[in-house]
Amino acid sequence: MKQKILVLGGNGYVGRRVIAALAASDWAEPVAGVRRPSAASAQARQIVLDATDAAAVARALDETDAVVNCVAGAPEAMAGGARALSAALERRAGNSPRVVHFSSMAVYGPVRGAVTESQAMATGMEGYAGAKVETELALAGRDAVVTLRPGCIYGPDSPQWSLRIASLLRAHRIGDLGAAGDGCSNLVYIDDVVAAVLAGLRAPAHVTASGPVYNLAMAQAPDWNRYFLEYARVLGAVPLRRIGARRLKVETHLLAPALKIAEIGLRRVGMRVPPPIPPSLLRLWRQDIRLVSTRAENELGLSWTPLAQGLAASVPGARA
Amino acid sequence: MILDATTIPSGSVLNADICIVGAGAAGITLALALMDSGLDVVLLESGGPEVEKDTQALYQGTVPDARMHSEPDRYRERRMGGSTTIWGGRCMPLDPIDFEPRAYIAHSGWPIGLDDLMPYYPRANHLCEAGDYAYTAETAFHHPIRPMIEGFHGTAFTTNSLERFSAPTDFGRRYAERLRHGPVRVIQHANLCRLDNGTDGAVADSGKMGGGNATVGPAHVRTLSGSAFTLRARAYVLATGGLETARLLLASPGASGRGLGNGNDVVGRYYMCHIAGTIGTVDLSRAASVWHGYEVSDEGVYCRRRLALTPEAQRRLQAGNFIARLHHPRIPDPGHGSSVLSALYLARPIVPYEYAKRLYGDTPGTLGLWFKHLGNVVKGMPQAVAFMWHMLTQRKLADRKFPSIIVHPRNRRYSLDFHAEQEPNVDSRVMLGTDTDALGVPRVHVDWRYTTRDVDTIQVALAELARELRASGVGSFEYDPAMVEMEMTRYGAYGGHHIGTARMGRDPRDSVVDTDCRVHEASNLFVAGAAVFPTSGQANPTLTIVALALRLAGHLRQVYAPGATGTGFRVQGLAATSHPAQGNSAQSDTAMETT
Repeated sequence: MKQKILVLGGNGYVGRRVIAALAASDWAEPVAGVRRPSAASAQARQIVLDATDAAAVARALDETDAVVNCVAGAPEAMAGGARALSAALERRAGNSPRVVHFSSMAVYGPVRGAVTESQAMATGMEGYAGAKVETELALAGRDAVVTLRPGCIYGPDSPQWSLRIASLLRAHRIGDLGAAGDGCSNLVYIDDVVAAVLAGLRAPAHVTASGPVYNLAMAQAPDWNRYFLEYARVLGAVPLRRIGARRLKVETHLLAPALKIAEIGLRRVGMRVPPPIPPSLLRLWRQDIRLVSTRAENELGLSWTPLAQGLAASVPGARA
Repeated sequence: MILDATTIPSGSVLNADICIVGAGAAGITLALALMDSGLDVVLLESGGPEVEKDTQALYQGTVPDARMHSEPDRYRERRMGGSTTIWGGRCMPLDPIDFEPRAYIAHSGWPIGLDDLMPYYPRANHLCEAGDYAYTAETAFHHPIRPMIEGFHGTAFTTNSLERFSAPTDFGRRYAERLRHGPVRVIQHANLCRLDNGTDGAVADSGKMGGGNATVGPAHVRTLSGSAFTLRARAYVLATGGLETARLLLASPGASGRGLGNGNDVVGRYYMCHIAGTIGTVDLSRAASVWHGYEVSDEGVYCRRRLALTPEAQRRLQAGNFIARLHHPRIPDPGHGSSVLSALYLARPIVPYEYAKRLYGDTPGTLGLWFKHLGNVVKGMPQAVAFMWHMLTQRKLADRKFPSIIVHPRNRRYSLDFHAEQEPNVDSRVMLGTDTDALGVPRVHVDWRYTTRDVDTIQVALAELARELRASGVGSFEYDPAMVEMEMTRYGAYGGHHIGTARMGRDPRDSVVDTDCRVHEASNLFVAGAAVFPTSGQANPTLTIVALALRLAGHLRQVYAPGATGTGFRVQGLAATSHPAQGNSAQSDTAMETT
């Protein structure tokens, strides 16, 4: 009999990919936990639920053998979702389903250098990073929870690290950023992330009993400058432009707030505006943090899609 | 981390594994490459992040004739980034022939080959921000590019080799953030004044030059505010440029008492710059097309082709390595009809002297000449304005600068800009002067000389080029052979290339450092920089300086890093507690290597 796997956040970029992979397997039957029904995840039965509602999550859990939590979006939704999941698991104490939970490298905060899973999470952070820390804390100590801390997930249609970057590269708003692009990208290809989820679901109980945490970033991930160059080559957005500090200041100080406001205003009328480059993004591109993901290689048996292969598949609009 | 020497109490003794002197292209490269080695590294820099007049004055020295060699405090900068703060950014590797002993070039031949540097050139290229390591038109561009001179088919000259341009990258600014966050202690305003002979008991052995068992240290460091401290390191690296390296070696006693590493009187000798000049008229009006400007590679790097004398032709002609570029016509002659060049001519009074040098002709300007230039400007006003706009946006305000003035003369008449190898010459030398600087260190005296071989190289190369251009029917090259020596010395030795003063070799009788860049006389003293080049090649030196620094970093790791099975001695109690490097070395090594 196939395992029923509830994918919370089943409408998101990662969620849809996980559902597709589970549906294609011979051992799993995905169930999409979604806030609004969507045609995009037609590959699976959908349960419409509010992921921050512990009772609703508990009901959904009753029908399933395992859970993948990829609830993304607003910080409150992510933190609330993890708390609800934790409460639902509490009720099933002694008979906990396997959980694969998506955290993020953001939990490490502004540290530099090589980072393994034993690095303590940063404290006192707000927004996305703070919410991700909260999700991990909410699920800490629960049985059979596998936590994934991916770096930057790229791949076909990845909104953050492929579509947005492609749009910025084609507009020549980013390129060779000099010292501002020296940080390590910690890229991880979407298929490798999905492989990690599947491996986490199937890992033997003794591996997951201790609530393992896995960094997910390709070995030898390029720095951001290199990523931009290699991606621009694939996109045909070369020659790369050197973008200096002055230009980047205009982006973060003038353009980003304006674009943000325009986006809020124009979204209602269905218009799209170019992506902003907020200061947080620039900080990330500078931050020389390098996720060490050997644990995922060893325990989950992961290998990394080569950058060239991942990029070739990530040209917006070029896929069949 | 970045520290300031003025905050170190006078009389302190600092300990380190490796002491690097000089935060220029070589020193900063070494520091970056050793960041994750587990070694405790100190990088001493005389200056701060900006120009300081009294610090720069420490570079003052003397020359016999300022027309032959610029004053020693010109073309080099004593501050973070060193002379990369003012360089033009031209990058290219040495050629295989540069490493060969050639009977027709005295003292030629390196004890290592291009193969020994090849593993480091791509990373060096990356650090210089010159893009991918691709130095031919075919490898750098995946699409065919317009020919340089359509219809030119030379056998002695090729047109497909490239020079690639750095941003130009100021290593001090570009890598400041990495240095600030890294474990290397960068100490600014710290002037190395003297390296003592070591007192580890091995000094007795130093009578045999090249025995290599004697050590040096500690280092005596002073600040211009009057404080002084001592630095004890297991190894020292001089990365202070070709002039200052010779000066520091000669100003330290050494085992012989004649200067550190100078037991055989080699330090400071064989001093080379490059032989360069602009000459003649290349008339390419018969070529189907000419493109002597830049191409931009995928990485956004400006690349330019040049006419390069092949190794076969060099051997046949017994010439040193030589390249030439098509240059804009002579500016003072209004016959070029170029509004841009005429505007530059008219702007002479407001252009600083160093840059205006080439704007003055041999004859004084006349009113008639002035009007002719004005006529050019008026006739070509749109081009002049477009040029000025281009220079403003693509050079002045750009973060990757358009490298030089490129003018496309309508009559396709150019002058020829050449750049060539200089033969090593034992009498061309850097010495200590009679005067001392503000810190009591003897000043430098630079006596640059060239040989008849250098004139011959230019003569035969120019004659061969004229022959090949004529033979291929694309045009002609007219110049006066009698003017060659005058033109190649018109502006003296090529500024900023200070080569050969601590040359690499196997025999201590005619070299200063061995193949590991270690001073023959001392087991723990190394030299990074163009001082170690035995010959100059035609290439501008910075890229090779960086590649050699990366190679030296590898050697230092092998010998001195924790767990290394090298021969580096460790004096008990001398090495400071080693800093745990940021993170795991296998990982962070790739941080420098993401090319």
